[in-house]
Amino acid sequence: MSQLAVRRDLKRRLSKFTRDYAIVVAIFLLMIIFTIASDYFLTYRNIRNIFMQTASLAIVCIGQAMIVTTGEFDLSLGQNVCVTSAVMAYLIKFAGFNPWIAILCAIGVGALVGLSNGVLIAYAGIPCFIVTLGFQMIARGAAKIITNASPIPAMPDEIKFIGRGFIGGNEYGVPISVLIMLALFLFFAFIMQRTKFGRSLYAIGGNKEAAYFAGINVKGHRAITYTIAGLLCGVSAVVLVTRLDSAALTNGNLYEFDAMISCILGGISLAGGRGKIIQALFGAIFLMLFFNGMTMLNVNPFVQDVLKGVVMIGAVALDVVRNRRR
Amino acid sequence: MSEQTRPLLEMRGVSKSFPGVKALDRVDLQVYPGEVLALVGENGAGKSTLMKILSGVHRMDEGEIYLEGKAVSLPDPLSSQKAGISIIYQELNTLNNLSIAENIFIGREPIAKNGLVDRQRQHREARALLDEVKLPLDTQTLTGKLSTAQKQMVEVAKALSFNAKLIIMDEPTSSLTNAETRTLFDIVRRLKARGVAIVFITHRMVEIFQIADRVAVLRDGQMAATMHARDTTEADIISAMVGREIGDLYVKEVAPLGEVALEVQGLSTKNRLHDVSFYVRSGEILGFAGLVGAGRSEVMRAVFGIDPRQSGTILVRGKKAAIRKTGDALRYGIGFVPEDRKEQALILDMTVKKNMSLAALDRVSRGWFIDRLRESRLAEKFVSLLRVRTPSLEQRVKNLSGGNQQKVVIAKWMANEPLILILDEPTRGIDVGAKKEIHKLMSDLARQGVAIVLVSSELPEVIGMSDRIVVMHEGRVKGSFDRRGVTQEEIMQMAVS
Repeated sequence: MSQLAVRRDLKRRLSKFTRDYAIVVAIFLLMIIFTIASDYFLTYRNIRNIFMQTASLAIVCIGQAMIVTTGEFDLSLGQNVCVTSAVMAYLIKFAGFNPWIAILCAIGVGALVGLSNGVLIAYAGIPCFIVTLGFQMIARGAAKIITNASPIPAMPDEIKFIGRGFIGGNEYGVPISVLIMLALFLFFAFIMQRTKFGRSLYAIGGNKEAAYFAGINVKGHRAITYTIAGLLCGVSAVVLVTRLDSAALTNGNLYEFDAMISCILGGISLAGGRGKIIQALFGAIFLMLFFNGMTMLNVNPFVQDVLKGVVMIGAVALDVVRNRRR
Repeated sequence: MSEQTRPLLEMRGVSKSFPGVKALDRVDLQVYPGEVLALVGENGAGKSTLMKILSGVHRMDEGEIYLEGKAVSLPDPLSSQKAGISIIYQELNTLNNLSIAENIFIGREPIAKNGLVDRQRQHREARALLDEVKLPLDTQTLTGKLSTAQKQMVEVAKALSFNAKLIIMDEPTSSLTNAETRTLFDIVRRLKARGVAIVFITHRMVEIFQIADRVAVLRDGQMAATMHARDTTEADIISAMVGREIGDLYVKEVAPLGEVALEVQGLSTKNRLHDVSFYVRSGEILGFAGLVGAGRSEVMRAVFGIDPRQSGTILVRGKKAAIRKTGDALRYGIGFVPEDRKEQALILDMTVKKNMSLAALDRVSRGWFIDRLRESRLAEKFVSLLRVRTPSLEQRVKNLSGGNQQKVVIAKWMANEPLILILDEPTRGIDVGAKKEIHKLMSDLARQGVAIVLVSSELPEVIGMSDRIVVMHEGRVKGSFDRRGVTQEEIMQMAVS
């Protein structure tokens, strides 16, 4: 390859990278702004805190991103986290379960909710909006019944390390919850990019009919995707309950939308078939950084909600404009 | 029509570039009032670009356009409509949830004094237009209930309501039956008599001689030739299109026939198919002829596990095959190139490589995991074997031309090494060169022992390529022919009655 060609190739790759990972650039910009504005922002402790707060949301983002890849979405994820939190805490505190068994049960319940979503959507053909909205209400109601609408606090010490522990000492160690999050992202990114299952999800999102004509079991894949997303809600609940040391009705509140916003900010196409789930992680990090920084700058929390909407519409607008120019 | 009259439309030195391609290169074109001009050329020759410049969808980079001697600019579709140019696209633009009258007057409904739509006047005027195109339908009928041919007539009526002086039709006959084509041609002749000029884009040679006064041939963005239809031959046109003489379009070699690969007995589906039986041997090409709507595609869909069957048995190599979904059909070694390339066959946003491996993921995987090296090798092999024109394996298929897209679809099924390959309209809407290559490919596959079922609405293709021909009519098999000696007339006779 001539030098010119190498340079052109490099330029093309760079432009593709900045297009796909514009969110990474945005994260850096945000960090620069907050670092200048606040002395405390760029400290190891604060950044670590942000990542710990991100972990439970980001785990939900994996499932949402997989569903979005197939061209759909799940509105029940947040309340799924809520009900699985409640199940886990209830089994430990009031049913005398071994905490580890309770954790497995919680994850199982999460997967079951996901499977129910998936079967009704894929096999019964009910639109995902209706089914997942229904399960949002069902899960919320169930969580209220289980907790009697009051928080269940004080988890046993043997599982607290999941949400609060560090590897390498409390001062400069790495949070275990963040390691769990990263491991899950790596695992599912691998599934999406390198396995037949992942490829099939992209095909389904790109064109369901063509995917079926190519012999892909479209219904089965869709049902499994919802199940995986539900299972990850259970995992998220475990991380969240052990970090907060409590299962409350606020657990997981609005995670489904925050996860969708993370996907959008990360640049995953809501139309399906395009994008990588790792982009959702960056979207989630951006979102959490944004709120952390705002809080640190004493921005009114009500105003923060307004800004969240502005940022999301802005991100999509930017993408639309960029696509038009191409 | 005579050359002395002033041209209705004159394009001079029109050029248009897209990133990386010069789509049109200093094209000159005249269209005279009351003539039918056939515009032909391979896919990618620039026909649609030229048309889109006239319709105001694209803007030309350089050149001039004159309408009745006056220079015009056509920056958007509205100004093009106002100038008297109407386009009837191949993918019809009718709004299926609205009535015929509403479709015709969409966006410019007659308004009554009270400020609301004057529905009576709208239907009255629509009625007059429908009478003009001889469409005996109620103007209140929902457009979604019409056949493709009827929708086209509605579009023609709409064009008339604009007082269009120039009507461009993009492959209007590609999904019409012969009878419908005749009706369309009658209308074209009537429009012509009224002084309307028609630009008729087509891939079908026969039609050029039936309807066109002149032929304009585009090749690689340049005007290769314009000629009078009565002074020219099919061979002249084809050689102008491809820039070289091309031999027989149908490359059918005789292949040794093996055992029966696929046998269908007494296949019926709800309301559509009745007791359909046929078989095809290894190495054999079995053609399916019939009118559009005769149920040929439905047979293939039912065999492949897409539509549910009510009764009937499918035997693969003499053994009963339980095919309930497409995945089952794949496991029995059946491949299916469906009729709608973009809707049913391709993931347009995916790359050439990923589309090619989609039906053969098992062959490029180790267990659950896709072996990317094997996947690339597979795609490379088929890109060169089928001579797919693509800048790279990573190109998204939506950026390829129709012929190359179709090659990707065929590669996808070849990659799975099928015993039986069903091809539904495999050469619809693709250029002559690619068509010939696909025919050659079918012959090669048959010689390697693949049993091929070919569904095609082009009788010369069915006759040229098949060893045997099954004719269908209204969901039933009417009869079959041996390839040798059968004429188009004999097949058509059976297909219509």
